[in-house]
Amino acid sequence: MPRLNSFQLQIKTGQNGPAEPPRYSINGFVIEFEEMSGGIGPGETLEATGNPGSFPHSLSLCGPKEGAWDIEGITATYFPHGEPPYTVRFDAVTLDDQSDLNIWQDRPAQVFDV
Amino acid sequence: MPSWFSKVFKDGAKPPSRSVPPKTEESVHSAALTKPAATPAPVRRPNPILAELDEKETPPLVTRKIIQPTVLVEEQERSGWTDEVRIKARVERDQRSCVFLVDRPLLDGHSAYFPNPASCQDSPLAQAIFEIPEVETVLLHGTNVTVTRSPMIRESWEPMAREIGAVVRDHLKNHRPAVAEPFLANMPSEEEIREKLARIIDLEINPGIAAHSGMISLERVEGNTVYIKMMGGCQGCAASAITLRQGIHLAFRQIIPQIGAILDVTDHAAGKNPYFTELPAGMQRYA
Repeated sequence: MPRLNSFQLQIKTGQNGPAEPPRYSINGFVIEFEEMSGGIGPGETLEATGNPGSFPHSLSLCGPKEGAWDIEGITATYFPHGEPPYTVRFDAVTLDDQSDLNIWQDRPAQVFDV
Repeated sequence: MPSWFSKVFKDGAKPPSRSVPPKTEESVHSAALTKPAATPAPVRRPNPILAELDEKETPPLVTRKIIQPTVLVEEQERSGWTDEVRIKARVERDQRSCVFLVDRPLLDGHSAYFPNPASCQDSPLAQAIFEIPEVETVLLHGTNVTVTRSPMIRESWEPMAREIGAVVRDHLKNHRPAVAEPFLANMPSEEEIREKLARIIDLEINPGIAAHSGMISLERVEGNTVYIKMMGGCQGCAASAITLRQGIHLAFRQIIPQIGAILDVTDHAAGKNPYFTELPAGMQRYA
């Protein structure tokens, strides 16, 4: 597992968005995103950047404190230390006040035609 | 009585008793007063930070559920059944093995594992692959060919994968079988494989991995392909792949060399704590 210098999320919200800006949790520590732009309202897209600079034994997007958050899709771009960045896309999911979303994925396997 | 006694104790007086007089309450008290003072016990000052924490109400522990998202993968172009054989190479995470995904079946109903060049007398395809330098093992399973090479090789898989792809394509174009008849003729029955593996799991493997609170079960046998499930401490464990490759594979293949693919069907991400979960109901932990 490489050290994760930073990561960027593009979160598209569906019908319900959270009341407050989202946070993320790395290795059990809940942290606010360093940079955020866009919105978390219905149909809006949020771009959020986290700079953990640590080994992500666990990395999750925290659910809202109240209500539900319908996420239509997430595009996550990871910037590991000493390796080229890579992007992973996640399908739709709904978070609530008792759930978090695992947003850590290893680099996808290299596939090519032979 | 000795002669000196009368000189010391005149008039036949009795010698004084040497017994220790019984302790009265006063004597105990006085003795305590005369003893040297003991080292005073350290005075514990109240810690204001801890006192403040004690006063605060401890927030209730909340168990949060971690949702595992579905990762979207780009749709692979499907070629269908054409004369052109299409092969994709997928390098595994450990960089030691590469899976070749062929667009048509290589071996129906069975799988074939060849640990070295000497073992592939009944497989022309495996023989051709072993002619490529640095190939260590070959596994034929369904539409896949899995090739491992030495872990000491650090170069990219791409040149070697293209060479292997060309060998597989040439083999299929010429309509040659992946394995010859004798290979399937010597194959043990599913029942025989199931019985032998169940015995080795109960007697050797499970007692061994019980030290880590782990356990495996035999899910099913299809042809000579074996499906297993890992439970307890093995489920979700980062070392489960090593246990599978270096322990279970070797034990299975030692007792039945004809075993083909050994597939782990465990959902390692399941549960609130994937590193360790309780054994399912009805399962016993080995002492």
